[in-house]
Amino acid sequence: MKTDSFDVLVIGGGPAGLCACAELSRCGIKVLLVDEGPVLGGQLVKQTHKFFGSREHYAGVRGIEIPDKLQEEIDEKLITVYSSSTVVGIYPPNNNVLIYRDQKKVEEHSFKYIIIATGASENMILFENNDLPGIYGAGAVQTLMNQYGIIPGKNMLMVGAGNIGLIVSYQLLQAGCRVKKLIEAAPSIGGYLVHASKIIRMGIPVQTSTTILKAIGTEKVEGAITVKLDENWNQIEGTEEEIEVDTICLSVGLAPSYKLAVHAGCKQIFIRELGGMIPWRNSSQETSVNGIYIAGDACGVEEASSAMIEGRLAGLNIAKCMKRLSEKACNEKIDDNLISLDKLRSGPFGERIVEGIRKLEGKSYE
Amino acid sequence: MLPKTADIVIIGGGINGTSLAYYLAKKGIKNIVILEKNFVCSGATGRCGAGIRQQWGTPENTSLAMEAVKLFETLSEELDWDIEYEQCGYLIPAFTDEFADQFSKNVRMQKKLGLDVSYLTPQEAKDIVPDLCVDNVRAATYCSTDGGGNPLLTTYAYAHRAKELGVKIHTKTEVTDITVSGGNITSVVTDKGTISTPMIFNAAGGHSQEIAAMVDIDLPINSYRHQILVTEPVEHFFDPMIISFDYNIYFRQVKHGSILMGCSDTSEKPGYDTTSTLDFIKDITTRSIKIMPKLKKLNVLRQWAGLYNVTPDAMPIIGDVADVGGYFQAVGFSGHGYMLGPKVATLMAELIADGKRDEIIDRLSLERFKSGNITVDSSVC
Amino acid sequence: MDRIKNHPILDFEKNEKITISFEGREIECFRGETIVSALSVAGITTLRENVKTHRPQGLFCAIGKCSSCLMEVNGVPNVRTCIVLVEDGMTVRRQNGKGVLHED
Repeated sequence: MKTDSFDVLVIGGGPAGLCACAELSRCGIKVLLVDEGPVLGGQLVKQTHKFFGSREHYAGVRGIEIPDKLQEEIDEKLITVYSSSTVVGIYPPNNNVLIYRDQKKVEEHSFKYIIIATGASENMILFENNDLPGIYGAGAVQTLMNQYGIIPGKNMLMVGAGNIGLIVSYQLLQAGCRVKKLIEAAPSIGGYLVHASKIIRMGIPVQTSTTILKAIGTEKVEGAITVKLDENWNQIEGTEEEIEVDTICLSVGLAPSYKLAVHAGCKQIFIRELGGMIPWRNSSQETSVNGIYIAGDACGVEEASSAMIEGRLAGLNIAKCMKRLSEKACNEKIDDNLISLDKLRSGPFGERIVEGIRKLEGKSYE
Repeated sequence: MLPKTADIVIIGGGINGTSLAYYLAKKGIKNIVILEKNFVCSGATGRCGAGIRQQWGTPENTSLAMEAVKLFETLSEELDWDIEYEQCGYLIPAFTDEFADQFSKNVRMQKKLGLDVSYLTPQEAKDIVPDLCVDNVRAATYCSTDGGGNPLLTTYAYAHRAKELGVKIHTKTEVTDITVSGGNITSVVTDKGTISTPMIFNAAGGHSQEIAAMVDIDLPINSYRHQILVTEPVEHFFDPMIISFDYNIYFRQVKHGSILMGCSDTSEKPGYDTTSTLDFIKDITTRSIKIMPKLKKLNVLRQWAGLYNVTPDAMPIIGDVADVGGYFQAVGFSGHGYMLGPKVATLMAELIADGKRDEIIDRLSLERFKSGNITVDSSVC
Repeated sequence: MDRIKNHPILDFEKNEKITISFEGREIECFRGETIVSALSVAGITTLRENVKTHRPQGLFCAIGKCSSCLMEVNGVPNVRTCIVLVEDGMTVRRQNGKGVLHED
């Protein structure tokens, strides 16, 4: 067993994890940050669009620039980063942790405090041939094009018109890919109007009440068949349309990645508004297991901006428990962040989240 | 909605409960209700090592297992459901002279019962599993008709076919009490209501002793945590299940390609804890590599734990009891409920539906512990 | 797939050029990119064969979650090629089936 000089383990170096590290290091707390990817930043490193909100939410800043800004906040001397490494288990009752370092060597550690900031993973939908090469999740499309500079396809069908579907469509145009059509099963576009009008202006046809029936091809995607849906979500016969594309991008939602929390014994709760099954947590972002905190999409799919605040809240609450900052100073900062979170969720798009949080607060596992 | 009455209430939705329901329904028994406190196969069955072997240390376990294998050989066909049963063999190396001697005795007993089993030299064992490290192997036993199946598929298949025959399965329904009047079972009380019934069948696996206690039957049983892990899948490279009583470990490459391995921790205290531990993963990986060094290249995918429901002689307790009319049980399988359960269920169905009592039921009844004269099966891990 | 030449926002700095081998074919790529990214540019979209259906499988999630990109890398099976970076001289093979555990 390695005797650890770290006070806190942060799992995941995306928006939530980096913000947690920033707050912890500001309080002089030593952190081990483990991330499965080769570079820090999580999904932020793929976001070329400018963020909304107010200044404190990095409004006007492009997502790709945020990881650097956050890392500037972190005292290098206080943080150790294991990238390309995976936390494979958290064992109660002492929070023993197994880390697969560099995907080569297993290390054992033990931590009093752990922040799980593992994000979310892409949903899949059912249609014929949905396993063909050339069908990507929206995150994969962003990785290929915005992280590694590769045009994922020449002609794309985008499935799903939530914010991610809209933003990625726009990014595809910037990268030189033609988005031939954007389809959405719901009767209306789910994402922000500004994003939608931008891509409509660019000439991408958007079809609502439409879903994908089939991908065409044997070795890879050569086309797709779409179909119209009636008000009961049933396919309307005779409305099938064939479209020639070499790539299909699925932007059909995300599910929280919280398996580590379950392994650690954290109680789960089903809240549809937050993405289905999630670990229960209190307003300090602490789970039902003492010392284990969770932040960001891992505890409810939302946005990068709210993930960042949840990360800060988790970090600050640990600093408070460790008495590394006066209780008064801690409480002030925590309140600021809670207010900031409320502001983010106050718009019409936040209603669903607020309803989810209300359900969460209705249950207690403390 | 929970029915108000039943002809028999089966407590537990694992292999024992679902297979008994199926065989009883096939015999024409109506109004069978299964009560499961969680979901079908959520307990020990769904967490078990999935092996089916006949190489045991006592004649009771051996002959019962031989009968069970006969049943498994045609079970996919009977249930019209592929339960992934395969006769991949069991290879049991002995690393000490004590075990080598014991195995030689076991083989003689097993052969007498008609089992096709061989006593092998280390080289003969290596011929069957080339990746086996035989440096310290003294001898080994091998039976090619041993094997394994998929406990989840088997239980789902029984449950599904039982439902088709009219059995009612109520999940998320926990039994809280059982009432007895004039020495006979009268009803089962649950968190969802009460069912009047003249008969109950205790198939509660790791929690069987708690159910028995509700009718004042004191079972000489303790539950122990048993942990298992599964590795990433790779192309098939060895066939049989390998067990070592020296290393207290078993492992097998299942159809999917993963290696499934488990062991009992002898320092484990009785209890109902099913959390996974780090010590287990460290311990079993170290031990398994000594038997098959090639395993060290594999990544572990998952680990989990279930309960062994253990009797003093490592043999199940089945049948009825003298003091409580209408009480039947198949409990205390000591980690081997999946492989023995279906056969026991056929015997219990004959007892309950036809009043036909197989002699093994008496030999494995609760009464045997009253004499204090028991033979322990040491071929358990 | 082609590399992006001009992008209004992003500037893709190229690291040192290195070579990996895919089923005996030499593939030029850049240090710092993933195996999948190198293969994609070389036009290789089928990364493995589905174990049960034997149908071709390609990249899906790109964050190491979905197992659609498992390949044999330097003789080691089941490597998540979407999160592992290329190294000079690396050998990459498709897994037709489950992947094989090789001798040392």
